[in-house]
Amino acid sequence: MTKKIIRLCYRKIIDAASEQVWDKYVFESSYTEFLMQAQLYNQEKKFTSYSELLLHVPNAEKLPFLVSAAIVGYVQQLGDKIPDITDTLGRQFLSFKNYRFEIIQSDIKKKPLHRVAINFFSEPLVWHETIGNNLLLSPSGEKETADGTLTYILPLQPFLSIYSIKETEA
Amino acid sequence: MEQSRKKFLKNFLIGASTVPLILEACKKDTVADTTTTTTTTTGTGTSSGSCTVSLTETAGPFPTITPSSLVRSDIRLDRTGVACTINITIKNTSNSCAVLAGAIVDIWHCDKDGYYSEYGGTGMQTVNYTAVHFLRGRQTTDANGLVSFTSIFPGWYSGRATHIHVHVYNAAGTSLMITQIAFPESSSSAVVTVNASTANGYTKGMTGYTYNASDNVFSDDTSGTEIAAVSGSIAAGYTVAQTIYVKA
Repeated sequence: MTKKIIRLCYRKIIDAASEQVWDKYVFESSYTEFLMQAQLYNQEKKFTSYSELLLHVPNAEKLPFLVSAAIVGYVQQLGDKIPDITDTLGRQFLSFKNYRFEIIQSDIKKKPLHRVAINFFSEPLVWHETIGNNLLLSPSGEKETADGTLTYILPLQPFLSIYSIKETEA
Repeated sequence: MEQSRKKFLKNFLIGASTVPLILEACKKDTVADTTTTTTTTTGTGTSSGSCTVSLTETAGPFPTITPSSLVRSDIRLDRTGVACTINITIKNTSNSCAVLAGAIVDIWHCDKDGYYSEYGGTGMQTVNYTAVHFLRGRQTTDANGLVSFTSIFPGWYSGRATHIHVHVYNAAGTSLMITQIAFPESSSSAVVTVNASTANGYTKGMTGYTYNASDNVFSDDTSGTEIAAVSGSIAAGYTVAQTIYVKA
């Protein structure tokens, strides 16, 4: 009897409309860092938008990596819990160790256009079944209790996806 | 404009991806981001369009503003190699070459094997994501115009002489100068001595090395102004000292 082990991906978008304090700090820090790092790829000052840099300047695709240095501290402040995503009991239960930072859009003259994303990859979960629009999950590797495996119910929602799946012998 | 931007992003992401699985799994940007981003980031724990339970847990300590993780003087993280201190003094040509305090100085260089910190671009940050930006750092010049970094002696890679990248900004973050530091390369130099030190993990020696005179960045520096002063030894570690002139 096989078990399905999945990892989820939550893509958290942060932009000028974000209201949570953590999001605003990430917005500000990543924009400030973008302004500094983009100068490396815009030495003739010909371009103003991130998409122009990607289109015209070799190696500009390194900017997300370079800018991500500014937000490492904020990701660490999350502990290891993926933000925003709660089970049906209102708990943040998904842990992460891996993430990927993206710059979706930015502009050195127009700060309101700055938009970034942090993709959080959950630790492996056992996907028992789907109930309606909800996943019945357990963290992979947890020991069984007298009541069996402890589970969480997670509603499927926008910006939450299954990143990977593998089948193992139970 | 919106349509072509979406198309561009779509094409770029698919074309540039080396790990397409990740992008496929999380691909919602070109369709959803212009319409639903605001709703996913407002409030706590709610998502757009579906009725989900709000976050109902003890709120943690308020997030605190933290500086960029680049702001550090010890830039080694998990890299090993011969110890090397990098001292850079910034002088201002607009002020009779007086030292420039309050300037932001970023440096970056490759590890002993010639690799820069930069993950694939489409891959995840590794588990130890505090070590991802190795050998990159940022300091602000003191009253003597000086910044100092603790690092390892750089390695080299095919096509380039040993070098350290430097980007100097003014206090407001405006770029003043992007340059590189070159190294002396005589037979008794640190570059030759360190690259021969297999005990410290430098395995290439000078085989295939590009010397300054052939280097596409340094070959026009006939007076050697870009070459740093290097002193020390393998046992005691080296010190690399250079003065950089900017127009602030």
